[in-house]
Amino acid sequence: MAARKRASTMSVSNKSDPAEPKSAPLEQKMTRKTVAASGEEFRLAPPKLGVIFVIATLLCSLYLYLLCFHYKVEVELKRSILINAGLSLVGFFVTLKMIPVAARYVLRRNMFGFDINKRGTPQGDIKVPESLGIVVGVVFLIVAIIFQYFNFTEDSNWLVEYNAALASICFMILLGFVDDVLDVPWRVKLVLPTFATLPLLMAYAGHTTIVIPKPLVAFIGLEVLDLGRIYKLYMGLLAVFCTNSINIHAGLNGLEIGQTVVIAAAILIHNVMQIGSSTDPEYHQAHAFSIFLTQPLMATSLAMLAYNWYPSSVFVGDTYTVFAGMTMAVVGILGHFSETLLIFFLPQVLNFLLSLPQLAGIVKCPRHRLPRYDTATGLLTGTKDGTLVNVYLRLFGPKSEKSLCIHLLVFQALACAFCFILRHFLAGWYK
Amino acid sequence: MAARKRASSVTNSAKPASSEPTPATKEQKPTVSGEDFRLAPPKLGVIFVISSLLCSLYLYLLCFHYNVDNELKRPILINAGLSLVGFFVTLKLIPVAARYVLRRNMFGFDINKRGTRQGQAKVPESLGIVVGIVFLIVAIVFQFFNFTEDSVWLVEYNAALASICFMILLGFVDDVLDVPWRVKLLLPSFATLPLLMAYAGHTTIVIPKPLVSYVGLEVLDLGRIYKLYMALLAVFCTNSINIHAGLNGLEIGQTVVIAAAILIHNVMQIGGSVDTEYHQAHAFSIYLTQPLMSTSLAMLAYNWYPSAVFVGDTYTVFAGMTMAVVGILGHFSETLLIFFLPQVLNFLLSLPQLAGIVKCPRHRLPKFDPATGLLTGTKDGTLVNVYLRIFGRKSEKTLCIHLLVFQGLACAFCFMLRHFLAGWYK
Repeated sequence: MAARKRASTMSVSNKSDPAEPKSAPLEQKMTRKTVAASGEEFRLAPPKLGVIFVIATLLCSLYLYLLCFHYKVEVELKRSILINAGLSLVGFFVTLKMIPVAARYVLRRNMFGFDINKRGTPQGDIKVPESLGIVVGVVFLIVAIIFQYFNFTEDSNWLVEYNAALASICFMILLGFVDDVLDVPWRVKLVLPTFATLPLLMAYAGHTTIVIPKPLVAFIGLEVLDLGRIYKLYMGLLAVFCTNSINIHAGLNGLEIGQTVVIAAAILIHNVMQIGSSTDPEYHQAHAFSIFLTQPLMATSLAMLAYNWYPSSVFVGDTYTVFAGMTMAVVGILGHFSETLLIFFLPQVLNFLLSLPQLAGIVKCPRHRLPRYDTATGLLTGTKDGTLVNVYLRLFGPKSEKSLCIHLLVFQALACAFCFILRHFLAGWYK
Repeated sequence: MAARKRASSVTNSAKPASSEPTPATKEQKPTVSGEDFRLAPPKLGVIFVISSLLCSLYLYLLCFHYNVDNELKRPILINAGLSLVGFFVTLKLIPVAARYVLRRNMFGFDINKRGTRQGQAKVPESLGIVVGIVFLIVAIVFQFFNFTEDSVWLVEYNAALASICFMILLGFVDDVLDVPWRVKLLLPSFATLPLLMAYAGHTTIVIPKPLVSYVGLEVLDLGRIYKLYMALLAVFCTNSINIHAGLNGLEIGQTVVIAAAILIHNVMQIGGSVDTEYHQAHAFSIYLTQPLMSTSLAMLAYNWYPSAVFVGDTYTVFAGMTMAVVGILGHFSETLLIFFLPQVLNFLLSLPQLAGIVKCPRHRLPKFDPATGLLTGTKDGTLVNVYLRIFGRKSEKTLCIHLLVFQGLACAFCFMLRHFLAGWYK
């Protein structure tokens, strides 16, 4: 599916233009090689904090404005949200600090990959530490666990859902890390997330009804349809879809984390909009719940993006992609906005549909379905594989890895914006 | 601390006498290529004997001796059935996982067989991950058979699952990345937090009657200090099994003995009381201890002397955490501590070396003599060594059995203590 083994540029920090694929001068080549060899002196490239600052500002400013100024959120709720934001910020710095440490341990265990999209350049020979998603996962869990003490009393109803969420996400991180270490067969990878969602389904105490769109009421004869167990099946499938879809829409430096933070920003904006425009306290709690888990996701992911953005010094591994997918499925389900979440996931849905023929085995499916890298120009060209990355390249021409990633993230953001517009226009007509 | 790298005898099943250290025949040279790797068949006979010894009293008490309410007995039996399924699944998965684990170069050599041919075989490590995952799946699936969606126990159950799952994650990360021991001490504290949050029980202790006149109170509310005690208990349990280890089968063996004692205690408390809350607390403990017992026994089939797989920190921290969880949420943590008497002893004996006052080597194992095949106690401060110094040299298998019997006696002692102090203490 996605490119798990990719080459990368490495630890020498004073490389001027990251997109420059031309071979480096001799001494830099040798420095890179010698630094790469010994595990003990391994030094990770410094985090690209400038990029992260720009991305964070783009994504979070609208959310923070809506939260603090535009909407009148009640003080109790706002305080909890801001405490959570503070803890998430701490999580950001802890993750930033821990990734270089963990990278040493991970390399010592020979868990690394080569950046396939730089094969043929000297950068393609460097060992890039893999599975650093474990750091994000562990810090996320600790932040989420500690936050419990600041918000809920011991007999609150939300403790059930919160703990079920923690159990599900933790189990998913465990399975993801086991997969990264042991490389389990893909059939197992499909089945196990189902078990990870079971605590969630058990704890879901909300309605299992769907509202029939007004135009269809006449045909169906009902305004509200109770799906009961089928709704739970839908939730289970949604979780399995989310955990896997991020994994297959990958292969470019920064794409996995990038799509996650874009969707997370959209989730936060949606949550605060729903809180601001409603007076139902249960409704508030549901969307606050989503915020309490999405803020840490955003913060820890941004910290890792500082190392993973082009050119990647660490790879995220399946640990990260399944963790991110599961967390977003969890907040979508327990926050009762799973249909909205699916529209945020539009590019992932598209990618899944494009991939179906190869996944189903109808069309031949190679180990990696990455675009083809041309060493001379440094650009990627789309192959005939059925992924969004390739289709995009075939439609819009060859691109460098970094600009392609940026294009795809903008596409993700447009899909989320489209969702907001859709909700706005269908509001009266649909429900 | 414990011997994580140990040699073992391996894949060829024809060797009859397990304690026989004489060199094996030529055909038994183990093949270490990942693809043709075949694990020794599980020692099901040993497991059958051990299970009967441990579980028969419990099952008798549950089904015949006490009149347990049908509403309660049914979920317990459903849980037992699921645990049995978990036993077979674990039995089936361990050889599969062993191949994957070896392929990733996660193996050890059996130090207690160094110098014999068996000491050269690569033994797959960290198979505790199989036990952990199967346990979680059984525990998750069981939810559907017992709780309705708005039950109050769902909070504690999910908090328990979250804590145990986080512990398995940390244990496996430790096995893979070998984190420093200071981190290993700190992280379990985070894993216990969901538990402490969900604990909605009393934080009072009952002052023993003889001391009431001195203290001036019959019941003392410790509040947050009680929660601190619970956290320390969890950290103690997760680490203590890890340091009372180093012999084939000792880690799992001590766990299943304590688990059997827990189950017997639970059913005795259910049978001897009419309070429904009290029943629920002990049933809760049963719901998590039965899967722990069955999945552990399945792995013991491969880990019993001579070990074909090693359990790794993944198993020891998982087992310790699970027992701490049931002790805390089942409200019998003081009883649990007495079940852990050998582990407490071992911890106290180890303190000088752990604190750095006495020199602490990498492994504090007894000395193995390839000529006689017996272990001799060194001056290290562990229960294993002290036992050998008091009772003389022993083979690895005999010593392990002795220590497990000692564990069983400590648990029996606890039951007697509770019985005799019942009127006097409270």
